[in-house]
Amino acid sequence: MSGDKQRAVVWNLWTLVAVAITALASVTAGYYIGASGHTENGTQVSYSIDWDESGNITKLTVTDDYGRAVALNGVPKKIVSVSPTPTEILFAVGAGDLVVGVDEYSDYPAEAANRTKVGSFTLNIEAIVGLDPDLIVSSDLVPQQQLDQLVELGYPYFIFATRNFEGVLKDIRMAGVLTWHIAEADALASSLEARMNAVAQKTLALGVTKPRTYVEYYPYYTYGPGSFGDDLIRLAGGMNVGHNLTSEYPTATSEFVVASDPQIIVYAVGPLSTTNATEIASRPGWDTISAVRNMQIYSIDENILSRYGPRIVDCLEQLAEILHPELFG
Amino acid sequence: MSPGPGDGAAAVADIASVRRRHRLILLGLLGLLVLTFFLAVFTGYTGPIAPVSGDRLSFGEAFQGLFGHTSNSVFFWDIRVPRILFAGIVGAALACAGTAMQAIFRNSMADPFIIGVSSGAAVGAVCASVLGFGAFLGSLASPLFAFFSALVTVLVVYSLGVVKGRVYVDTVLLSGVAVAAFLGAVVSFIIYYAGERYDRLIPWLLGSFADARWSYVEAAALPVVAGALVVYLYGRDLNAILMGEETAYNLGTDPDQLKKVMLGVAALITSAAVAFVGIVGFVGLIVPHMMRLLVGADHRILVPASTLFGATFLIAADAVARTAVIGEELPVGIITALCGGPFFLYLLRRNRIRGEAK
Amino acid sequence: MKAQIKSLSFSFGEKRILKDISLDISDGEFIGLMGPNGSGKTTLLRCLMDYLPSEKGAILIDMKPVHTLSPAEIARIFAVVPQSSNTDFPFTCYDIVMMGRMPHIKSRLSGETAKDAKAVREAMERTDTWRFSGRLFSELSGGERQRVIIARAIAQSPKAMLLDEPTVYLDISGQLEVMDLVKKLNQENGITIVAVLHEVNLAAKYCDRIALLNDGRLEAIGAPQDVLTPETIKSVYGVDVVVRKDPFTKAVYVMPRSTTAPVHRHGTRVHLLCGGGSGGPIMRLLHDGGYGISAGVLNVLDSDYENANDLHIPVAAEIPFSQISQEAHAENLRLIDESPAIVVCPFPVGPGNFRNLEAARHALDSGKRVLIVRPATGQGIDFVGGKADSTIKELISSGAIEVPEEQQLLSQLSEIGR
Repeated sequence: MSGDKQRAVVWNLWTLVAVAITALASVTAGYYIGASGHTENGTQVSYSIDWDESGNITKLTVTDDYGRAVALNGVPKKIVSVSPTPTEILFAVGAGDLVVGVDEYSDYPAEAANRTKVGSFTLNIEAIVGLDPDLIVSSDLVPQQQLDQLVELGYPYFIFATRNFEGVLKDIRMAGVLTWHIAEADALASSLEARMNAVAQKTLALGVTKPRTYVEYYPYYTYGPGSFGDDLIRLAGGMNVGHNLTSEYPTATSEFVVASDPQIIVYAVGPLSTTNATEIASRPGWDTISAVRNMQIYSIDENILSRYGPRIVDCLEQLAEILHPELFG
Repeated sequence: MSPGPGDGAAAVADIASVRRRHRLILLGLLGLLVLTFFLAVFTGYTGPIAPVSGDRLSFGEAFQGLFGHTSNSVFFWDIRVPRILFAGIVGAALACAGTAMQAIFRNSMADPFIIGVSSGAAVGAVCASVLGFGAFLGSLASPLFAFFSALVTVLVVYSLGVVKGRVYVDTVLLSGVAVAAFLGAVVSFIIYYAGERYDRLIPWLLGSFADARWSYVEAAALPVVAGALVVYLYGRDLNAILMGEETAYNLGTDPDQLKKVMLGVAALITSAAVAFVGIVGFVGLIVPHMMRLLVGADHRILVPASTLFGATFLIAADAVARTAVIGEELPVGIITALCGGPFFLYLLRRNRIRGEAK
Repeated sequence: MKAQIKSLSFSFGEKRILKDISLDISDGEFIGLMGPNGSGKTTLLRCLMDYLPSEKGAILIDMKPVHTLSPAEIARIFAVVPQSSNTDFPFTCYDIVMMGRMPHIKSRLSGETAKDAKAVREAMERTDTWRFSGRLFSELSGGERQRVIIARAIAQSPKAMLLDEPTVYLDISGQLEVMDLVKKLNQENGITIVAVLHEVNLAAKYCDRIALLNDGRLEAIGAPQDVLTPETIKSVYGVDVVVRKDPFTKAVYVMPRSTTAPVHRHGTRVHLLCGGGSGGPIMRLLHDGGYGISAGVLNVLDSDYENANDLHIPVAAEIPFSQISQEAHAENLRLIDESPAIVVCPFPVGPGNFRNLEAARHALDSGKRVLIVRPATGQGIDFVGGKADSTIKELISSGAIEVPEEQQLLSQLSEIGR
């Protein structure tokens, strides 16, 4: 082969290798790093307050779950929530009357659904501006670019994005500080903590066998190590089979689930879901799974499963009851 | 550019040896398919072929599970074998349809989706899974809707290119592009309107064999095998039409009938493939290319070669998709794109070099 | 294969391409279809094999209407060689030629037989393309590819071959290769050939008959020498040509005439004393210069006589192999009297035409302008033992103007007009 052709072939091979490596690396990286952003752990709410002579708050600075110190010119009087979880938290601490606008998915509590709608995945910036809020609260699922847009228009945003139970309690307290409903927030956090402990005391006690548990929030989509769901299952007294996987939010193979042989299967239901026990049992090889043979397939409302607000404790209690009927019957 | 004694290109001027070599390659491809099949059967989370050591089956246990009746048999007969067979069927269908489309459109960049199959199937699948059409059919809803909407879309695309019984492939191609763009917007709108999380549909849009089961194999096997057979039998006609429609007519083929038959068969087998697993890209495009490099352009050899290698390729890609990350699924479309993308670039570059050298 | 085309008409949308064409093609003949661009030649070919449906009229192939034949049957009768063929796909030359066997492989289920392989091999050996059999078709040169296509046509075992301008992209050796091959097939195998040709002389050389189309109508049909006349060609192509007979093959050949037509013919008469080809270029020069010309005395086999006839120039003529007769000389002198200027071309002077120099003498004595064009260096024109040279010298010393080069003639002559 001539010199030119030789060089060309070598160049081609290197291109091939380089592109393949880059592609493989980025896909793998995406899988292992996970999609969520950085969240702050720890249970203490970080904040500072400036008062004036008359005892009014002139400046309120609270650090959100991204570690951002958000400064406000006082307690917000009008709040727009663009995610269902912060909406639930705000109403739960008694600040529901401060909420003037919500996104399409904020359906709990019922009063929240009556607020002015400001969009779903894509925010209706005009509607938000029209409400002229003092603060926007969001979870980590709203695209950063849209929040930046709001900042440019002069509206600060505050992120609620927790990954564990302590974080939920902290989020509740954070909401209390933000809305100056500190007492209610503390009370709520305490009662939730008490309920969590009540469950944990029984489920994590010595001698309690943890059943192998498989929880899916969408067909084959389960909870991997480091995810909230993994922690949820642990506290509920189960052994999450997904804990042995690599990604935080993996898609499990049938073979994995069958090999793991869960004793209990829990799946999420919602208005759009098509899963049911029959469908699960019909999956290839799943009829050999203990949970299927023993008809230990249960469902949980997808909203309490995936919203990390006060109702996650409801979910914990329900899950604990499913996993340990002998302890909570 | 007459052949010279030292001219590398003239080295294989003996047609008899060329044809003998091609036949051996065909046999080799069959062997490769069988080998890949068995390797894939032994690959999986529980092993014996698996990425990390640990709680894996030994080869002995695997054999017993495969050929006997142990507790491990479920991994083989319920999970792996139907999935591998289905991956093979889909790969064969896509590669075979791709070969036919590249001939009909006289364009080696054509793939089986250009006639609107993918966008049509997407609409059907999204209507079923997101809007809940046909919910009473259970898990069959999505494939059925996808299949029929794919066929309807192809019919629309095709009829846009037919005038008085004559099929104008350039128009069919362009209308395929336009219809795909339109339907893509429709799919996005449906997803947005229904509030479904877009990322949940990505596996389907990228192609995934996660849910493959025996009923899929049973449903798809017959149409795909029949379709591939038809394409093979029309092999000489495909050769002729590549030389131009008038030449094909001169050699005794009816070009319009050929186009109709091939478009119909390709639509059928591609829709059957896509309906269950989503849009697996690149297979229908690059497998015919690779096989042409290996066995030349005579479709009587190329079609079986593409069909065999398409099956092999997708079986291997799926084996990677279900074992690369332990216990987790990667959409197989990612694997085929990872292989296909660089290979495509290589092909383009190679054609450019060839073109400059002339 | 014999074909009868009866009153064939074909339109493409609104445009009428073929208008009422009737033509019979006999078995085993080599017929050329010619005509200007857009005259419908290729369309006629396509109608003949029913690729285009005829609008009006009938086409009978071996007594059967063509539209009753299936595509496979038509493919067993006609093999087509288009202008050029190529493909991006990696077909070997063998693959290409084997495609020609398609009409003979009856069932989709069967493969190629030994008979097909033999037909392919023979076809390729006949076209000297067997050595390309394993090579990619796309790697060959244009001429080589055409040969492979012809091999494919041969492998098709047709009764007739239709060729659509098969030599358009070939150089001269390629053209001859292809046409010789086709002619051989016609003569040795009796295959009827219908060829659309644009090269007039190629058609004249190879065709038994030529059908000349113009604007969709059959303008003329017959043997090449009958069809390719200057009048017919002028009326169809709008071009002035000269038609000659090739001395080796006896075939006619056509040469375009000078296209530099003079804008303004002033018609000033010039008489040329010439012969042996010496007058040809000068006739052309003066004709293009707008002059009226006469010539003499020329014997009727002289090339200058033919040149003069082409330009419709009055000539004093003589029968060959004889002395210039009194009548011819008198005619010559008469023509001289009509012209203000006389040009003595460097014609070879022999005993038979010496009187032409005497005519020059007469012209000079009559007060005409006499211009003597010198022959090219080294070229002797005196074949009368020195008498011609001395006469010419004498003429020059008596007032004839010596013109060293033909090109200077025009400037010399222009002074006469003033």
